Amino acid sequence: MSQMYTKLWLPYLVAGIGILISFFLWDFILWHHIEAYLNILLPYKSYLSWLILLLGISFSILTGAVIRITQLDYQRTALLNQIQATLKKEINERMQAEESKQKLEIALLQGQKLQAIGTLAGGIAHDFNNILYAIIGYTEILREDEEKNSLKYNNLGKILEATKRGRELISRILAFSRKQHHEFDMIDLNNTIEAALALLKPTIPASVMIQFKRNNAISIIGNQTQIHQVLVNIINNAIDSMEGEGIITIHTAHLAPHDPLLKQLMQTSIQNYCKIEISDTGHGMDQATMERVFEPFFTTKEVGKGSGLGLSIVHSIIKEHKGEILLNSQLGRGTTFTILLPECSR
Amino acid sequence: MAKILLVEDDDLVRDMLTQVLQRASHTVLCASNGEEATQHLQQEKPDIMVTDIIMPKKSGITLISEVKNRHPNLEIIAISGGGRLDPMGYLDLSESLGASVSFEKPIDNNALLMAIDLLLHSKEKAGS
Repeated sequence: MSQMYTKLWLPYLVAGIGILISFFLWDFILWHHIEAYLNILLPYKSYLSWLILLLGISFSILTGAVIRITQLDYQRTALLNQIQATLKKEINERMQAEESKQKLEIALLQGQKLQAIGTLAGGIAHDFNNILYAIIGYTEILREDEEKNSLKYNNLGKILEATKRGRELISRILAFSRKQHHEFDMIDLNNTIEAALALLKPTIPASVMIQFKRNNAISIIGNQTQIHQVLVNIINNAIDSMEGEGIITIHTAHLAPHDPLLKQLMQTSIQNYCKIEISDTGHGMDQATMERVFEPFFTTKEVGKGSGLGLSIVHSIIKEHKGEILLNSQLGRGTTFTILLPECSR
Repeated sequence: MAKILLVEDDDLVRDMLTQVLQRASHTVLCASNGEEATQHLQQEKPDIMVTDIIMPKKSGITLISEVKNRHPNLEIIAISGGGRLDPMGYLDLSESLGASVSFEKPIDNNALLMAIDLLLHSKEKAGS
């Protein structure tokens, strides 16, 4: 149907045919035996054929003109639609570029901030180890002089217990801040995830269901223990956020270099990436929490229940693997962590 | 028992370790940095040197490399709580430079005393 609007000859053809028919009628009425039927119009007999010819020609020209105007109107509308679509596309592209730029800036800022905090934490950890060591040493010296199971002996034991907690905290801070020289090997991502899930299994409540949708074989260059730690930290957070009841979905997939997800983070990449998506059906988080979630010592948990280092360690490990971690969350709807890791080409 | 040179810049840790070592009947010489330790080594002949790694003036790493050349029979125990590198990074380096044993702070003092006894024992064996 739309082809009709692009054929320029159509109005001329219609007008031409109309004019031809008019001439044919004029000729027919003028020269043939039609007078007998027109007796009642006898006084106008001599004008009728001319009147029909005039009306026929006018009608044909008018029809041709209407067709041409409709064609022009259609073409203009099509042109306007095309311009509008181009503009829409351009606006979308600009908005996406602006959004990616903003995301990149935020990621860069976040990375710098974490690096700075990491350096600071490393320094604090060193001094704190010395302080802790002095407390432990003096307490042990005092304890040696006390009678076993006496009140003083037991109280000094409590100090030693508290220092143990301090020691654990320091080792976590150091894990975050130090550039550990972990051995990197080619590892099968899906098998690594399955192994991490097997590790976690005894601690997962029965009311939490974990679904693992694995893609074809995905290999990365990385440290298996660190990837285990990433999964354990994220899944433990998910379990806490679901208050022990809900579904955790883990999904792995290959990503092509032109994948929009990668475009968001990197301008161009010739590297193939893979992704691990971990979603929960927990209570989700607000924008303010999302912005701070990877910061060391930031926690929404009750005092004593979370060190606030779990996700900052995750961030640090993913960066060490030259990857990226994205967070998407909505209050009341749950949270999705998307981890991008460079895929290893076999 | 043994004569031990303790090199540690943190006063609290140094005093505490001195007490721990003295209670185990060792004689303790104290130094708060690598330079002081070098001076002690010119006058005294300790059996074992226990040294921290990150210290002002002269670090434990420099001290260990110097001492190993000048006093090859001196047994060295390195201790560290980390810094720019993780403690194990410094301790691995100190062991490759010649430290016999290394410990990450906070140390289990019993393990430290046990290590000293073992080093003394092997030293005596080698001497006899």
